[in-house]
Amino acid sequence: MISNKFKLILLVHILLFCFTSTLKGQSNKKLNIIVFGAHPDDCDNKFGGTAALFSQMGHNVKFVSVTNGDAGHFKKGGGALAKIRRAEAKEAAKRLKIEYTVLDNHDGELLPSLNVRHQIIREIRNWNADIVLTHRPVDYHPDHRYTGVLVQDAAYLVIVPNVVSDTPPLEKNPVFLYLQDRFQKPYPFQPEITIDISSTIDQKMSGLDAHESQFYEWLPWTEGRLSEVPNKKSERLVYLKNKWGAKSAISQETRKSLTKWYGGKKGNSIEYVESFEICEYGKQPTDSEILKLFPMLNSK
Amino acid sequence: MKKLILSIFLLCTGGILSAQNSQNNPLKIIAFGAHPDDCDAKFGGTAALYAQMGHKVKFVSLTNGDAGHQSEGGGFLGKRRRAEAKKAGKILNITYDVLDNHDGELMPTLQVRHQVIRKIREWDADIVLGLRPNDYHPDHRNAGIIVQDAAYLVIVPNVTPDTPPLKKNPVFLYMKDNFKKPTPFSKDIAIIIDTVVDQKIKALAAHSSQMFEWLPWVSGVEKKEIPTNEIDRLAWLKKKYSTQIIWSEENIALLKKWYPKVKNTSVKYLEFFEICEYGKQPNTSEIKKLFPMLK
Repeated sequence: MISNKFKLILLVHILLFCFTSTLKGQSNKKLNIIVFGAHPDDCDNKFGGTAALFSQMGHNVKFVSVTNGDAGHFKKGGGALAKIRRAEAKEAAKRLKIEYTVLDNHDGELLPSLNVRHQIIREIRNWNADIVLTHRPVDYHPDHRYTGVLVQDAAYLVIVPNVVSDTPPLEKNPVFLYLQDRFQKPYPFQPEITIDISSTIDQKMSGLDAHESQFYEWLPWTEGRLSEVPNKKSERLVYLKNKWGAKSAISQETRKSLTKWYGGKKGNSIEYVESFEICEYGKQPTDSEILKLFPMLNSK
Repeated sequence: MKKLILSIFLLCTGGILSAQNSQNNPLKIIAFGAHPDDCDAKFGGTAALYAQMGHKVKFVSLTNGDAGHQSEGGGFLGKRRRAEAKKAGKILNITYDVLDNHDGELMPTLQVRHQVIRKIREWDADIVLGLRPNDYHPDHRNAGIIVQDAAYLVIVPNVTPDTPPLKKNPVFLYMKDNFKKPTPFSKDIAIIIDTVVDQKIKALAAHSSQMFEWLPWVSGVEKKEIPTNEIDRLAWLKKKYSTQIIWSEENIALLKKWYPKVKNTSVKYLEFFEICEYGKQPNTSEIKKLFPMLK
């Protein structure tokens, strides 16, 4: 017969074992982050630096382009262009060490239809996302605005089993975040979370560099500045960094956000950042939950 | 005397120069309303000023207005309203197009978006005017969304490839409304229309199915209150549809910004425009070039 004392010791051991293994499990838990942009290159441009940080730390990041980008060129178009852009996206993913999916919806014609909403719900569920990021429904391109609407419309519905019943629902509504834009109406973007991307800015630029058809062809063409693009690979990276990777113009609001998350000393010296706004339609995280969702904030 | 002759000479050449400038290089302005009469009510005065200066203005109604009457409807009403629009266009010296989409059923579809993109490209527009996507009538809101969605895409060659793209995104402006949410209309630009206000009223009167039939009927105006002879009708309309400006501090500041030499006591009628964030963002000197009546 086992004595009561022994029973107690055994119980304490079992309890301790359970407790520590859960703790360990928690700290090892991989975060799943999914980002929706309207075109192949949008996520890279607004989240590439943070994505590289997540990936370095062993977390899972996926970019989804809701359109195939088949209108984004002055000389090429249609399926042939979509094929080029899908390959560019895959190359960018390799450089950022993430996954990239390009959905086959037409560029320049995205509407907030149920069909696309369901594609997005499936993507979020299949990724078992902890964080979902996208554009605000106010931005210069209608595809960006409708991507914002579509992802907003997926929030909450991702937990409803009767919606898109071919894909099991998430147990919890993830945190939904907006990527930064410069639009002022109806209200300006709020930089609630700001991440220091100084250590990954070059990797981010290398990700953008993979989208050759965009950063060296289409985008300069739309500005009438195609002749300014250098031909040599080494010069192109310098050009890219000058144009797209320049030290972030940090507003007072962003600086406030930086000093909140990184402390006054470091927060005042950071020059390369990406900021995010919390969408009201997802889970509303507390500051300590944000620290868990953005673990790079703890290794400041 | 010499000075006087010189200044007369300068005045003449200056006048000729500016007339030549607008003839050789006229500005092209296109305004989109939901119904035939929307553009007239919100932009008619400024449109008349542009036309006087030799610039080219086009109004486009995205629906044919075939639901806007208490006892008429369908294709017959659509036809009547198209004729009214043409008449108003003549009075303002502008072009007026009425698209054949049903009134009360406008949706922000790709098909209508492409109609709008084609119109903007064919007019080679420097300025595009639309409604804000918050307004009392769903057709107005959807018209606002459709025009917003054409911004930027007008320069993309792969979009609507049957019509060559514009080289530059035009300036997009909103016409005034009184709605407050999520943000009130922002009076970014103010234009004095006192010299053309009667022309504007005459253009509105051309939409007789609206001004003297449908609009009084929906607002409960009794038939006997509506005058029947032309002169009385114009006076009645002017009283109803061209409210004189109230000189609030905001409006005084606006006048000072855009017309620094003009005293507010000498001005009665203004039209206002808000700059849409999705088109080209003009600075003050670019706005003065786009609105050459600002002096």
